[in-house]
Amino acid sequence: MTSTKPVVIETRGLRKVFSAGRAPITALQDISFAVREGSFVSLVGPSGCGKSTLLQMLAGLMPSTAGEVFVDGLPVRKPAPDKISVMFQDATLLPWKRVAENVEFPLEVRGTDAAERRERAAAMLSLVGLTDFGARYPHELSGGMRQRVAIARALAPDPRILLMDEPFGALDEQTRIKMGHELLDIWSKTRKTIFLITHSLTEALFLSDIVLVMSHRPGRIVGVIEAGLPRPRTYDIIGSAEFGAARNRIWKLISQDDDESGDNGMASL
Amino acid sequence: MSLRRLLIIMVILGTWEAVRRLDLVGPLLLASPSEIIGAFVKSWPDYFLALRFTIAEIAAALALALIVGIGTGIVAGMVPFFGATAGPLLSSLFAIPLITWYPLFMVWFGLGTMSKIVYAAVSGFFPIAINTMNGIRGLDRRYLLFGQAIGCSRRQVVFRILLPMAMPSIISGLRIGTGLVVIGVIVAEMLASFGGIGYLISYYRSIYATGHVYLGILFALACALAANWGLSLVERRFTHWRELQIGER
Repeated sequence: MTSTKPVVIETRGLRKVFSAGRAPITALQDISFAVREGSFVSLVGPSGCGKSTLLQMLAGLMPSTAGEVFVDGLPVRKPAPDKISVMFQDATLLPWKRVAENVEFPLEVRGTDAAERRERAAAMLSLVGLTDFGARYPHELSGGMRQRVAIARALAPDPRILLMDEPFGALDEQTRIKMGHELLDIWSKTRKTIFLITHSLTEALFLSDIVLVMSHRPGRIVGVIEAGLPRPRTYDIIGSAEFGAARNRIWKLISQDDDESGDNGMASL
Repeated sequence: MSLRRLLIIMVILGTWEAVRRLDLVGPLLLASPSEIIGAFVKSWPDYFLALRFTIAEIAAALALALIVGIGTGIVAGMVPFFGATAGPLLSSLFAIPLITWYPLFMVWFGLGTMSKIVYAAVSGFFPIAINTMNGIRGLDRRYLLFGQAIGCSRRQVVFRILLPMAMPSIISGLRIGTGLVVIGVIVAEMLASFGGIGYLISYYRSIYATGHVYLGILFALACALAANWGLSLVERRFTHWRELQIGER
């Protein structure tokens, strides 16, 4: 459905080898995919398969061993804060700053003047529904609210791309579902390109246009699933037959890969 | 309430005075409150001069310990290789009674003010450096990534994110360090010097003027209180959010 839009993120033959220990470990191998402007793409895979490593490479926070990441056709070698924002599982808010100051922080760091910062922070807090909480401290908020502050902060510099590393992983299920809805709402209002990492197949499918499926060690992309579900989506869709079928396809890709690597392991013994 | 407190203090002072007057304890061991007051009336200008001297040394030593300690702690906390070497080294040096080095400090920095400042600064340095290092090491790595991702310079990452994050740990190092600096200055003055509260205590002890020794101890207490007061200002400035957190959770 977004196939006519230009590609904003592209990786070509991305590979990452960690050589800190005695034996070098290949964390990622031959990662090639493209994300189109304004689309919502999720990456699922077993824990420890290198999802976070990949996200850090997309953000320019970690160099690749081989291959390259391109954003707008230009290679990414260092963080590009005006194009890309990153969000982590823990909100990583600064506990000594009030909520509004936290949202302003990325702007403050780059020297935006105070009036503009305040205006921008107010707009972002209103977008995430926390208008009345600007003067609070992070520890006064619930986990879900803290993540909403983190979303507001990530959107404050008006980036085109939002990279999210298990943003709702630490939340309870109800809050998590609610946050998913809100994220879709924010996405439809702002039209950012979102790349989200999750280990929840349901969450990935419910939110995304495209789900990338990753294998375990070395991390490879073993499938690209088009969700093909109508938007706007409501929670009911999770019970539908097409949702179940798509979820099964993803599950098969993940479990199949598990079996294969298990067999390989046996064979090499 | 205050009346009762006053009464208790009066009783204690009265008993203390009586013990001396009745000569239950010898004059070398105990000075009565009146003797201490006598010493104060007789030589208070000397004591205030010495107090200024000592407090200036404490302030200088504290500033030195703070700057070098936090600086070393940041580097040791952030640079893995340096930290792996410096961590155990700092901890083991901290475990040595530093006073054994004092004769060397006198040779290196003379009998004057400088040897006191350096000696006290070194004793305060260790807990500050160790706590800063541990505070930074204990931080979630994602804060570092977050800082880099929003385009912070290295300097901004350190001073705008990591250092404030580690502040609770740094403050507790500072608390230990301040105590050690005060002790360091006064002990060093007592061992060999030309002035300061420690010098007065040591001098009057050598001429058996017990009242003066007690007065000197009270002034040493004043130094510690002054240093603690300065520390509490710093503490309130940097960790108000943390107290809030504990208070409300």
